[in-house]
Amino acid sequence: MSVDLATRVGSLALANPVMAASGTFGYGLDLVEFCPPERLGAVVSKGLSPRPRIGNPPPRIVETAAGMINAIGLQNIGVEAFCRDALPELCRRGATVAVNVFGERIEEYVEVIGRCEAAGGVAAYELNVSCPNVVAGGMEFGHDPVQLERLTALCREATKRPLWVKLSPNAPDLVGTGRAAVAGGADALTLINTLRAMAIDADRRRPVLATKCGGLSGPAIKPIALRMVWEVHRALPDVPLVGIGGIETGRDVAEFLLAGASAVQVGTAIFRDPAAPLRIIGELEAFCAGHGVAAVTELIGGLQ
Amino acid sequence: MGSGMIARRDHRVRVIARRDLSPTCFALELLTAEPLEAVPGQFGMLTCGEGLDPLLRRAFSLAAVRRHGGGTIVEMLLKEVGRGSGALRRLAEGATLQLIAPLGNGFTLATPGTPPVALVAGGIGLPPLLFAAERMAAGGAPFDLYLGATTAAELLLVDRCRAAAGDRLVLATDDGSAGEHGTVVAALERRLDAGTAYARLLACGPDPMLRAAARLARRRGLDAELSLEEPMACGVGVCLGCVVELADGHFVPSCKEGPVFRAADLAARWSE
Repeated sequence: MSVDLATRVGSLALANPVMAASGTFGYGLDLVEFCPPERLGAVVSKGLSPRPRIGNPPPRIVETAAGMINAIGLQNIGVEAFCRDALPELCRRGATVAVNVFGERIEEYVEVIGRCEAAGGVAAYELNVSCPNVVAGGMEFGHDPVQLERLTALCREATKRPLWVKLSPNAPDLVGTGRAAVAGGADALTLINTLRAMAIDADRRRPVLATKCGGLSGPAIKPIALRMVWEVHRALPDVPLVGIGGIETGRDVAEFLLAGASAVQVGTAIFRDPAAPLRIIGELEAFCAGHGVAAVTELIGGLQ
Repeated sequence: MGSGMIARRDHRVRVIARRDLSPTCFALELLTAEPLEAVPGQFGMLTCGEGLDPLLRRAFSLAAVRRHGGGTIVEMLLKEVGRGSGALRRLAEGATLQLIAPLGNGFTLATPGTPPVALVAGGIGLPPLLFAAERMAAGGAPFDLYLGATTAAELLLVDRCRAAAGDRLVLATDDGSAGEHGTVVAALERRLDAGTAYARLLACGPDPMLRAAARLARRRGLDAELSLEEPMACGVGVCLGCVVELADGHFVPSCKEGPVFRAADLAARWSE
């Protein structure tokens, strides 16, 4: 049987529910020979700040059981270089582009959105308020519902395009922060970002990472991500969700859709296999065909 | 440094040979279905099996590539240090893996008629320098090969090194059980003191050895190229995990701008 893979995240139509997650696919063109960006539901850019950031000192990553911890520190080329060097080619190729937006202050988030609005061609914005690896900005917005609502509201004024907020699993009140983002004008919520974590080198009696702590990703976090998507979906059933956390297979995607996500992002799996999103799309299609699912949207929130 | 203009791709490879080289090190021969070309210093990202743990591929320098039928035999020398390399050591011949290669840049090799280069290998740092030695030997380019290890038992592929370098092979062990007693960089320094001249040093090995090589090069006004080993998640430029600090304070991904760096371009800690 043929399977309709099309889905929507709020007003944004996607050809299929599988996106490449921020920070795992460069600026959309870095892995074209393995995974053409136009074949994905969308590509989410590396977190962009108004000006380039050099990021954290190494070591920045460590592999852990069925996962990894990173502390990249939002190293990025800056929004100007992205709009000049990557965005036009992504648009020419027909890719659906979501820009992950980062700032140390609210004005910086607004500045990134403003620059992209001037360039045109961006399909959605994803506010990064949940990076555990930077000193200023990021998680401080994601953990405080009052600040998050204000940030979202000011970004909302800067664009009419879909605005997503990427939630932190480290926030003391996940549903509360999600509600604050929606109150501020978010169209959808992405969840989850990485879990704050640590690895220790017992031989040297030191933390492995230069920043001591980082963010855990990969299959190890999938059960937590599923639980969080399910909880937020139950609390906010009308809010579109983008599920992310340890997705490796098409079956994993089906699980996130059943928990309430309208689409998903694949992240760490790309590090292991740069063509992983394409494989996962194929597996999802086969899963649907094998279960008599004619349209992938039938799975969304379908948990019994 | 040599440019890697050859297109990277994800090759399905079959393990056609696996043999122990020392108490801790082993060699894998991987057969690709498609041609694979590379230059000495380049690396590949190899899966460790099918499961999700270990999760990530491992980065290994290429020790040799040779055409075989329509494909290529890729040789890698590995040291068992953890779960990934342990799983690879226990693979059955005939197992299939995935290998993204070639990746990164390569060393600046000598060419016939140019001054010789010194190849300096410490322990499991041998693979890119064996590749360089065999390629330069085949092309008639001048070089000396310095091979060091902790003990005689950990000196890898001495016969192959001798076949490539002939009497230009210098061995050194920390315990004096083979070759000269002491580090391979000390052995190199003695040759420099005796008047041997090199166009540059090409080095790969543990960080303390590379720093010693960089310091020596700086004192003698020699150019040095170091192949660095950084923890790497993707190997293809998107994770930004493998960054190296440059002298100008920037962090650049080793998988794209390395793994071979000019010592003079690196942050001061490499040569102080």
